[in-house]
Amino acid sequence: MKSNINIENNSPKSLFAKRLRKFKSFKRGYYSLIIIISLYILSWFLPVFVGRNALIVKYEGEYYFPLFNYYESSVFNQEISGEANYRLLKKQFEKETSPGFVVLPIIPYGPEENLLDELNETPPVRPSSAHWFGTDDRGRDVLSRIAYGFRISITFALIVAIFSFTVGLFTGALLGYYGGWFDIIGQRFIELWSTLPFLYLMIILSSLLSPNVFVLAVMLTLFSWMGITYYVRGEFYREKSKDYALSAYSAGASDLKIIFKHLLPNSLTPVISFAPFAVVGNISALVSLDFLGFGVPPPTPSWGQLISQGMNNISNWWLVLFPLGCVFLTLIAIVFIGESLREAFNPKGNENE
Amino acid sequence: MSSLLEIKNLKIFYPQKSRTIIRRKFGKPAVDEVSFILDEGEVLGIVGESGCGKSTLAKAIKGIIKFNNPYVKVTGEINFQEGINCRKDVQIIFQDPYSSLNPRHTLKTIIEEPLLYNTTFSKAEREKKISEIMEKVGLSSAKLNSYPHEFSGGQRQRIGIARALITNPKIIIADEPVSALDVSIQAQILNLLNEVRKEFNLSMIFIAHNLPVVEYISDRVIIMYEGKIVESGKTDKVIGNPVHKYTKELISSVPEYEGKKL
Repeated sequence: MKSNINIENNSPKSLFAKRLRKFKSFKRGYYSLIIIISLYILSWFLPVFVGRNALIVKYEGEYYFPLFNYYESSVFNQEISGEANYRLLKKQFEKETSPGFVVLPIIPYGPEENLLDELNETPPVRPSSAHWFGTDDRGRDVLSRIAYGFRISITFALIVAIFSFTVGLFTGALLGYYGGWFDIIGQRFIELWSTLPFLYLMIILSSLLSPNVFVLAVMLTLFSWMGITYYVRGEFYREKSKDYALSAYSAGASDLKIIFKHLLPNSLTPVISFAPFAVVGNISALVSLDFLGFGVPPPTPSWGQLISQGMNNISNWWLVLFPLGCVFLTLIAIVFIGESLREAFNPKGNENE
Repeated sequence: MSSLLEIKNLKIFYPQKSRTIIRRKFGKPAVDEVSFILDEGEVLGIVGESGCGKSTLAKAIKGIIKFNNPYVKVTGEINFQEGINCRKDVQIIFQDPYSSLNPRHTLKTIIEEPLLYNTTFSKAEREKKISEIMEKVGLSSAKLNSYPHEFSGGQRQRIGIARALITNPKIIIADEPVSALDVSIQAQILNLLNEVRKEFNLSMIFIAHNLPVVEYISDRVIIMYEGKIVESGKTDKVIGNPVHKYTKELISSVPEYEGKKL
């Protein structure tokens, strides 16, 4: 008896399982998803690979973990002010052959760290074994800035996507479910709201508020929640006219129950297939705002600022090539994901399986 | 009086499409001056061509007609016998077994739903009830965690019947329950309906556009044509001695096989 049930459970049952299997068959999108997700997860442990703080220091018989604690330079008898400089400490150890050691990250430079004191020439410095992607015109390591910029870009894009989909889903659901006058007025409002010039308003708002990443995300949400409402509204209209909604109503389910338990799970297809493209749009939006100087406040590492540096120093090819290349590769990987998701969730391609 | 349900002068109007959205106009009623009663333990067949207002009537009786079109106008009276709670004691079986089951819910969720909103049973009681009902309609309880798309049309209609029976209703409205099924399956579902209605002492309003099906199951029959009742009475009387032109047409349209009406 028991084994019988288990055998049945092994075959892909729900529609979602079927679609997931189909998604995996699109290699380009599947591998892009794996790469982007693993890079993003790694980026939360970024200080281990890229950063100015040493992982472990052994100094005069004692162990220090600068990744987790802040140490004044005086702790290591350094003649500089502020936080200890672990690269100098390492050089010191090499010279003195004293019984201590420093373990540095692979790229031992922070994204906001000015390296003017350590560079032998005036920045921007071209790529070398020390600075793989060179430095920018303020002597900051480009690779380090790109790496931290990736984390900020993706986080920002995900936050905006989640916010705007939540708002858009809810609005579209209500419009589609209640219909009638509510729908007509709601839609006109959305149309009016969509005509607001997004970039100008963002520029005005950011010059008034001088935002951090979170405020910027809320502001961008204000102008990006409308797109999904049209699709969700349409889906709700269609799903509501099916008998299963009527039968839930006739069983006595409340409006909220019908919306969230019955209709919403059946209306998520456009949301899932649009999500990657929304993320692409949000990354580009942040890049353009940063490029114009109205995004996250400096010196936060951001791709837009790097690209605008590239434009100001167009003869220094590494300032143009690397940031643009990274933006391009990230965006195209996410577009691949979106493309495959859309294909996997295409109802017409799905039924024949 | 022992009638469970009494309908008096029921009229239902759908709003017409008009160029202005401000004033809604109503055209010819979809259901026009319909009156009838349903007695206890009786099966009342309603026959009519597509679009004659049968399904509209069914939805109006169950009180769900405004769900998809809030601007429908209903006049007249629908009176249930005292003590009948329309939500719990009147259940409906839908025509299309494909769209009437939520594709993302398991059988258990689907059948359980009316219990959740209309009773105060505990989880164990509900589960017991569900497996009882599943057995009654001829489905294996092992399938409770399956999704509707794993079943055939006939099995899906069994699920629909199970969902309708789970609250122990007094009246079942079957809205063309077999018209979407293969002919070979139709008989099974009809037999099942006949069995359960005897077992639970149900009253049933059975809607169809197919005369033999209604003849098989119902005690009394109502013939509807363009929203009006054109004929009604005991089934064998109406079919044996049709008066209205449409009824005659219906009877003569039943296919014959070797000289026998099917």
